[in-house]
Amino acid sequence: MKCLLVANESAEVLFYWTDTEFEQRVQGQYGVSQEEGERLPAFEDSINTLFAPIIISCSTMVDRLGENYTSFSTENNHIYVLHQFEECLYIAVNGDGDETEEDLKRKIFVMKKLTEIMFGMVTLSGSLLRKELRPQDTEQRNRLWKKLRSLLETYSRLRENDQSFLVEAVERLIHPTLCEQCIEFLERRLVQQINSNMDRMGEEVLHAFILVHTKLLAFYSSRNASNLYSSDLLALIILVQDLYPSKINLDDTSEELESSSVPEAFYTPEPSPPERESVRQRSDSPPVFQFVDPDVQMAEDSLQTLEAPIPDPSAPYRVFLEAKECPMPHSMYCLPLWPGITLVLLTKIPNSHVATSVCYFLEAFVKLEKRLCEGHEGAAAMRGQPSVQEQRSRLEKLIKTWAGMDIQTSQLQNAWTDFKNKAFSRSGSGFTRDLLPSCRNMKTQLCGVYRQFFAADCMGSQRLAPHLQERALSMVQEKLMDWKDFLLVKSKRNITMVSYLEEFPGLIHFIYVDRSNGQMIAPSLNVTDRTVSELGKGPLADFVKKKVWSLVATAQRYLQKGYATVTLRDGDYFYCYFLWFENETGYKLEVIDIPSSPDDSAPVGMLTCDYYRKLLRYYSKKHQNDVVKCYELFTVHLGVIPNEYILQHCSQLARKLWEPTRIPLL
Amino acid sequence: MQPMAETAALAYSRRFFFLYDSSKVQEEGDLTRDGIYYFSPEDTPVDQQELLCGQLAGVCRCVSEMSSSPVRLLRLRKSKYAVRMKDSFIWALSCVVDIPDVSLCDLLDQLIALFCFYNGPVRQSYQLYSKEDLALRWARYLCHLQGGSTELHNIFSCLRTIDSTHIDPLLLLKAALILQACQRCPLVLAGCILYRGRVVSTQMTPALTMKVMVYETQMYSQDFRVTANGLSSSVCSLSSFTATTQVFLTPSELYVLRCHPVERAYRSQCSQPPCQPSKSRLLSRTLSDTPTTDTDSSGLDLMQCPPASYQTLPSSPRSSLSDEPYFSPSPSRVNTPLHSNLMNQSEYFTPDSHDHSISNGTNLCAVKESLAGLNIKQDTDASSGSETKSEGVNSDQDIQSDEIKALANGYEQSNSLDNHLDHDNQIENEENKLDANNHVMCKNGKFQGETEEEARTKSKQVEGRLEEKYEPTNTPSPHETLGDTSLVPSVLYQHRVRGLVLALLVEPEFHTDPSAREEVHHSSMASLNGLEAHLRNTLPGTPGPPGPYTFAHYDCIQNTLTTNVCGHSAGPQEAFVRATKLLHSHFSHLDTLQEAIVRNGSSAVYGTRSTAQETYFLQRGTPVRNSGSPDPQDSAFSLPRKARQRLLKHGVNLL
Repeated sequence: MKCLLVANESAEVLFYWTDTEFEQRVQGQYGVSQEEGERLPAFEDSINTLFAPIIISCSTMVDRLGENYTSFSTENNHIYVLHQFEECLYIAVNGDGDETEEDLKRKIFVMKKLTEIMFGMVTLSGSLLRKELRPQDTEQRNRLWKKLRSLLETYSRLRENDQSFLVEAVERLIHPTLCEQCIEFLERRLVQQINSNMDRMGEEVLHAFILVHTKLLAFYSSRNASNLYSSDLLALIILVQDLYPSKINLDDTSEELESSSVPEAFYTPEPSPPERESVRQRSDSPPVFQFVDPDVQMAEDSLQTLEAPIPDPSAPYRVFLEAKECPMPHSMYCLPLWPGITLVLLTKIPNSHVATSVCYFLEAFVKLEKRLCEGHEGAAAMRGQPSVQEQRSRLEKLIKTWAGMDIQTSQLQNAWTDFKNKAFSRSGSGFTRDLLPSCRNMKTQLCGVYRQFFAADCMGSQRLAPHLQERALSMVQEKLMDWKDFLLVKSKRNITMVSYLEEFPGLIHFIYVDRSNGQMIAPSLNVTDRTVSELGKGPLADFVKKKVWSLVATAQRYLQKGYATVTLRDGDYFYCYFLWFENETGYKLEVIDIPSSPDDSAPVGMLTCDYYRKLLRYYSKKHQNDVVKCYELFTVHLGVIPNEYILQHCSQLARKLWEPTRIPLL
Repeated sequence: MQPMAETAALAYSRRFFFLYDSSKVQEEGDLTRDGIYYFSPEDTPVDQQELLCGQLAGVCRCVSEMSSSPVRLLRLRKSKYAVRMKDSFIWALSCVVDIPDVSLCDLLDQLIALFCFYNGPVRQSYQLYSKEDLALRWARYLCHLQGGSTELHNIFSCLRTIDSTHIDPLLLLKAALILQACQRCPLVLAGCILYRGRVVSTQMTPALTMKVMVYETQMYSQDFRVTANGLSSSVCSLSSFTATTQVFLTPSELYVLRCHPVERAYRSQCSQPPCQPSKSRLLSRTLSDTPTTDTDSSGLDLMQCPPASYQTLPSSPRSSLSDEPYFSPSPSRVNTPLHSNLMNQSEYFTPDSHDHSISNGTNLCAVKESLAGLNIKQDTDASSGSETKSEGVNSDQDIQSDEIKALANGYEQSNSLDNHLDHDNQIENEENKLDANNHVMCKNGKFQGETEEEARTKSKQVEGRLEEKYEPTNTPSPHETLGDTSLVPSVLYQHRVRGLVLALLVEPEFHTDPSAREEVHHSSMASLNGLEAHLRNTLPGTPGPPGPYTFAHYDCIQNTLTTNVCGHSAGPQEAFVRATKLLHSHFSHLDTLQEAIVRNGSSAVYGTRSTAQETYFLQRGTPVRNSGSPDPQDSAFSLPRKARQRLLKHGVNLL
């Protein structure tokens, strides 16, 4: 019984997602008639009615006490978690015991992250976000909500099954030679070729990477690209997984291998090889060979994994990625090489510099609003910002430039005139509280401009030419053809516990994370695989999996409270968690007191509000001469092993695992 | 914006508690304030009270409807509320966020249970008494529950006990024996002895003991004197008096109190073989009994070498140095100090009908009749011993102050008994003994009949209870406390001798049975005087120098805490308390978790627990430079060993 909804201050539901159980419960409670066609709006209404008192009470509490609810739990262990982001209230509910309060909070933050990735800075304006999340057009709304729901479900599936989403760090395929070759290939051949082609329509490939399921095979960033943060990379993997889901829950490995190893003939025809999974995604895609096995199609239909048809398959996704200054718009091209293996290109789009300037002024207005709210007036309100006149003339100039471009700027101009009249003219109020509405209006209008430039539905036909995309796809396919099967197997058994058993008797599982570059290594836990893993099949592996998941949750809870070392004896198992800092040469730096964060702060992890990036920044302040690296190790041992051996294991393991992470990524 | 911030700061530095009845606020025109039965702190502006009650009650109702289950915990950014909902009532108690959820919820449950214990069902008590009267009581109960000497006491919501390490174990034994002697009166269910607001010995479950202690804790921790309770007068400057108060027990509490029927049957009979009681114990065993097996077997050793680990809180008659040695005197033991002591004690517990009838003229005939067959026994043991004499002396000294004090309270038992009666006890007729036994037998027979019947009806309920997840604080199940109908009236009898209080839970008939009252009074008077004198002379012990470590040891069964954390926690102590909160919370969520070490930059805390106890340990001293990376040499991992060594001398055995 799960539910997540986003509402604004006027108790309007901007988005909701429920599982069937929750839906049934609500319908049972409200006796909603199940008439065809009418069902959906009726259900939405009942959701609205159900949550309205809570939402209204929330805003009352905020207004009158400056307090807000963060969670409710009931005697039958239903959990409600609430979090307010700006003007939007997020509520997540769980009534089946699958998720803890922390999980729900994380889900809310992930939902927020996904909207940021999809809408960028538009999320800063409540009214614009409302328009984005809840388009007037029913069909458009249904399409968007379906997409968002499917993204949420994909995230939940990954979080539940994938260790890299458990610890929120990217897992790389451990094969140094191939990895290196691929990076070289991406750099010298692919990116160079595309970026020097005339048909790239002003776009420039900044990052290119190859994913095998959720694992990273190779990643290349061009020289003038800004850093791609782990949080964004993880979010992009969710997007890719949503487009081309790996069937984690099915015993599919062998089947996949069989079918793909059958006829060479599949790959002979031009432009690209057949793809069962991609076919259903992009059935009208020209570069993809039209091969639709009716059985397969039906089976997959019944699995309900069918996505809404994407109108234009060669159209990229608009994603907004974190950069130093502001969320920068990028185009993302997901090119499926084979089922489970995807090439992803991130390009810089023309006009993206506009984002920087819009962002600059947005921030200025946000600051001004804050200071006005705090009661500062006149010059004090502008403190900490460059001279007013300078800013004013800059903005004037910008607005003129924008007006010359292909967008609507009349509203912005009106708002600006209004602001100027109030702020600068003699008859106006000057920088006082009365300026607040104009200030807010300017914010909204700037967001509006940003939206017009970059929002997904304003992209038009801006993209890399389809033939360029095809070319890229076939080049990489050619390169990896011989490796394909190997990669698919490798992704399931990247490293295995077997190779560690002899050296570390009693060790059951471990996860090693390099937080400085957001990567992790862990033996595979193949819970549903048909092949018997060293942990045996099904229940046992599942049991170990549960233990690992609970260890990570526990460790993160203690870390949030400032504890960087935790050992636990729980039943027949012994768990260890360590977090430590090193300099570049591997010299272990002294521990510090990590500040304890309040309960309602962002969850510990990298996907949302990157906790570790902040932690590293905090630590670096005290070690300014060193390049600080941060590592984590989680281990599960049998409880019968004496403590001193367990600790020795942990220390040896950390030393042993240190090497592989040295492989250069770029 | 500004006023908002101010109210917020004002509001959230405090702890709120309120009881709200939403049935009073149903129509448009109804004022929220009509639904507020009690709001603490009482000086909160009414509009803020209304805001909080209205919003929280509304939102809780909404959530509980959606989940078809009452809300238990409500978290806000800067505080959190434990919530109980029953019918149209909602109770909510807030605290700052870093108190563990379990502790807060327990605290609220205890608070409600406490109110019901003294006042009965909530709705009924609000019909009987005014809001103002009851407000005083809520305030007192709140004060009682939050009055722990350190933050740790509040987190574990444990009983305050006397420091057993500074007390002659003989005194503890004596206290236990006084309680047993009182139980010889069949109307007495169980009792406890308190000294200056701390438990010396108790036969009740920790939860019940906590309830009984309310007035005591108050008097000695706050110097706070309120005599609002119409049923009892608990605070008075007199050095000795008795009082009875009506109280309400939940059926399960009552069941536990009555569930040692077989032991009771043998209470006054030495001739019975001891094998049967031990068997029956298993049958009637409750959770609070479980761990006492060890204590029991070691109980005898206590006399020879006072072990540091001996707990002062026997939680059942069995553990309070059970009747075993008394009723089955093995020949080899007859002359051990313990045995003779037991024998000596018994004479003081025997009431003297003769003297009583004289002093209480009006009742003379009735009393004589009823007492004719009462348990009157002459202990002719020549070794009446030094113990007896010393007690006698003390009692004599107290005579002056032990005067008749009739208080305004209707239930007050005026007490005109002088301590010299104790000496008269020595002159008793042997022949009464047989009669006495018969009488008691008869009474017990009747009692047994009752309990058997009750046992049958309750057996299912109890089975269920035993199967329930083990709750360390013995919190009564909420539905029982909240249930308006299920409470059974009972009587709390208190006998005060200066700082010492004997509190007995007795059957309601105790009121109407003067003979029983006399019996109990007489049997305990002298011993109480003696005990008080001894305790007064030994207390307070000077605490030894704190070691280079901080620890807390929580006994989940007896609900007691041993710790060297003192009142104001700062520095390493603060770190210790912080880690303890987290670990306690973790332990209470995860049954299988046995031990944990958590370390931050400056401190490492080791926590371990079993079904019966939780122990936390922090080694002080300069932290050794380390990197936090896995290192077998790391000093944090030697904590378990150190804890085992260091805590032995505090009576904590972690092996």
